Amino acid sequence: MTLDNSLAPEAGNTVAQFQSDGDAHLETRNLHVWFGERHVINDVSLVFPENSVTALIGPSGCGKSTFIRTLNRMHELIPYAGLAGEVLFKGQNIYSSGVDPVDVRLSIGMVFQKPNPFPTMTIRGNVLSGLRLSGTRSRNEDRLVEESLQRASLWNEVKDRLQSPAGSLSGGQQQRLCIARSLALSPDVLLMDEPCSALDPGSTIRIEETIRQISKNMTIVIVTHNMQQAQRVSDQTAFFLAEDNNPGYVVEFGSTPQIFTTPQDRRTEDYVSGRFG
Amino acid sequence: MTIQTLDRAPITRPKSATPWRRNSATKRISIVLAGTLPLVITIFTAQYFLLPGATALLTVFIPLQLVASALAAIKVGGRRGIPDAILTVVVLSLVSLVVIVLGSVLFNLARKGSHAISRQFLFYNSTYVTSSTSLDYGGVAHAVIGTFLIVGLAAVVTIPLGIGTGVFLTETRSRMRGPVRFISQAMSGLPSIVSGLFIFSFFAVAGFSVRGGWLGSLALLLLMLPTIARLSEEVLKLVPQDLRAAAMALGAPRNRAFFQVIFPAARSGMITAVLLGLARIVGETAPLLMTTVPTNGTNYNPFSGQISTLPTFIYKWIGAGSDFSVQRAWGAALVLMILVGTIFVLARIFGKQKF
Amino acid sequence: MGSDVTKLERVDLFAAKPGRGDRIFFGFAGLAAYFSFSIVFLVFIFLSWRSASTFQEQGLAFITGSTWSAESGTFQILPMIVGSLVLVFLALIVAVPSSIAMAYFIEFMAPKRVARLTTNIIDLLAAMPSIVIALWGAFIFTPVAAEWGKLLNHYFGSVPIFQNDVDNYYRSPFIGGWILAIMMIPIITSVSREVMSRVDKELINSAYALGATRFSAMRRVVIPTARGGILGGILLGVGRGLGETIAILYTINLIFHVNIFRILENRGGAVAPMIASFYGEADEKSISALLAAGVVLFGATLLVNMIATYIVMRSEKKMAS
Repeated sequence: MTLDNSLAPEAGNTVAQFQSDGDAHLETRNLHVWFGERHVINDVSLVFPENSVTALIGPSGCGKSTFIRTLNRMHELIPYAGLAGEVLFKGQNIYSSGVDPVDVRLSIGMVFQKPNPFPTMTIRGNVLSGLRLSGTRSRNEDRLVEESLQRASLWNEVKDRLQSPAGSLSGGQQQRLCIARSLALSPDVLLMDEPCSALDPGSTIRIEETIRQISKNMTIVIVTHNMQQAQRVSDQTAFFLAEDNNPGYVVEFGSTPQIFTTPQDRRTEDYVSGRFG
Repeated sequence: MTIQTLDRAPITRPKSATPWRRNSATKRISIVLAGTLPLVITIFTAQYFLLPGATALLTVFIPLQLVASALAAIKVGGRRGIPDAILTVVVLSLVSLVVIVLGSVLFNLARKGSHAISRQFLFYNSTYVTSSTSLDYGGVAHAVIGTFLIVGLAAVVTIPLGIGTGVFLTETRSRMRGPVRFISQAMSGLPSIVSGLFIFSFFAVAGFSVRGGWLGSLALLLLMLPTIARLSEEVLKLVPQDLRAAAMALGAPRNRAFFQVIFPAARSGMITAVLLGLARIVGETAPLLMTTVPTNGTNYNPFSGQISTLPTFIYKWIGAGSDFSVQRAWGAALVLMILVGTIFVLARIFGKQKF
Repeated sequence: MGSDVTKLERVDLFAAKPGRGDRIFFGFAGLAAYFSFSIVFLVFIFLSWRSASTFQEQGLAFITGSTWSAESGTFQILPMIVGSLVLVFLALIVAVPSSIAMAYFIEFMAPKRVARLTTNIIDLLAAMPSIVIALWGAFIFTPVAAEWGKLLNHYFGSVPIFQNDVDNYYRSPFIGGWILAIMMIPIITSVSREVMSRVDKELINSAYALGATRFSAMRRVVIPTARGGILGGILLGVGRGLGETIAILYTINLIFHVNIFRILENRGGAVAPMIASFYGEADEKSISALLAAGVVLFGATLLVNMIATYIVMRSEKKMAS
């Protein structure tokens, strides 16, 4: 699958359009989103290559979080939500009738901004919570717990206290626990909505390491406010923008080095150099 | 369905913007069947076996609806959908049960009570009325007056005490606040009959028992006080700290700050609190049974003599046992309910106003 | 310009003592608060003192015996205590699922307008005077419930609790239990609803993101997190149920014979209705006994309410953190 930079828009008015070879792991085609009557995402077509990290950057309020929630069918849980266009996962539109949203969420997981382990469950219980909630079975739960915590770089810190309540962990540890519980379901894609913005720099670095590790065999889409983080962690970056009261859209999408060092669009350049945001 | 756009203006939302709600024909048929078949089957079965409505509902409809919903859920969403379908049916059934009960109470109140209601019922007292007197004579006016007097007297004393407690809990920094709050909350569980017992025995001396409207007011006070205290604390807490700070920065002493700034800001909430407290005690019967003696005539003096109130009126006429007297009781109950309903609606109206 | 400015009188900063207005204001507030605080103890102590003679004469048998006779001067209320407990237990069977269902419905299932309407319905039910419920219970509900009792006895009569040797289905614990449930539902619902609304929305979203269905999210996230508050609400409902006097007065039969299991038969009792019922014709000794019963009742409800308040306050603190 190729990222054809010759199709990046000239500075001006067109919305980024992309071609994919058809084998893209996860992609959106002409995605529109409404909240009630309000149009909030305008014609976004993005491709998320397999086993790589894509960052979504842009000023706050331009719809990045809303967009990411359409990728695992969380958007429809909001009252008066509306959507048009397609979200293709392994070539199939996840919004076709007959697709169970639960199946979608088992393959496309999500980690939220504020670490929120389930307070009434132990650490072990939290890791396995996805299985319990979705009714999935595992042949060896102990091994699954250890694997998931290893992949989230948390195992060594908690291996002796799996039965303690999740609330006894620090903020950074809790967020890694949330990552572990998503990983326990072996998703193909992991969506992350500003996973480090509530954490201290030390935890942030550890999580970024974790992200780089797991992206070797998982597709990751990460929303972030932190441009340095996007540069550290991602292979591709999409720049979202919403002007005045207009819906959000993608201004530019390309490989991370290219977006940050040689952006094609004037607005992208203004944003990544800190002139607004 | 794709919409191609190249400019950035907003687009109006198309009708088909909820793809997750699209259902194939079989799914739609399943849902419709599951919604209607159980009801139809229940109606026929009830007719055939001559079951009374409520019984049929419980024994035939609910199990059928559960099964049908589960089957439809499998059709629509696979085995995973079954617990959700059952949950939905159970929750909706229980909610309907409660709504039906309330509906039945209100409906019967209106139906049976309206027999007795007439101009004369509302404006005359019950002097010379016995259990065999027809409904053309006598009324509840004396009971209504009694209710207003006794509840009013209770309110006059309780409101300052309750608001005072609220002030103590929000405007001071005393260490006793925690205990006061806790005990006051626990006190809201005071059984109404114990309140009546207490007031009665407090004033009973050596075989002489004192009765009177004012004693009823005292008993009601004990029941109303925790509610007013708790609600006025909540209302006062909602007043922004900035307002208090501003008043003090202008040099106002605390009491002036309260009466001229804080209280007006909380006024509509206070009124709601008072109304809710009133609604609670207007219908109380047990404490009044112990402290007042109902009578047929009108008594404008709550401090001496026998006096009737709506709840004791109802109690007395149920006890009299005849058809007429029970009808009177229904009529009085309707009047009482209208009174409570009015207070309730007023509380809602005041509650909506922002300060 | 400077000479045109009005000069206000200066106050000596260090002479500050709370002004008289403030002293009266806070003095009154303090008095009111201490009144609210001490009234509980006052009631309890006074009633105990006034009924001390009964406790002395009857001893422990007051609450373990089953005879009530003014002539012989024996006053024992065990059947009434048992009756209250049976009624509350039966009521809980109906009230707890109904209340949790209503709270869940309002918080998580209903669209906004329906939710508001339902909340108003619950509040209206809470405001219903118990005498009105009593009237409805006696004349409208009793025939229906008696029918249910007969059917239960007809089809399930072999099960001990559904047996009825008296063949009178009116004024039974079964009927009283339903009425009591109606009185308990509003408070359990509103506390449960309050607690459920405080569950972090992001927590529930996380559950859905992990593949939860509505049922599994409710079972494994909402209910466990709200558990403390719901329990507190149930206890508050129990407190209400123990103290309920008028609503069940016409649907139970005060018989001084302990009846735990025969819920369809027309015998049972409860402490609060007993006090109200016997009060009218009580002589001095009986009054003292009734006061003693009141002490027992108050002690029980106070205990339950304090535990409930403690649990609810603690769960609110936990969720705020």
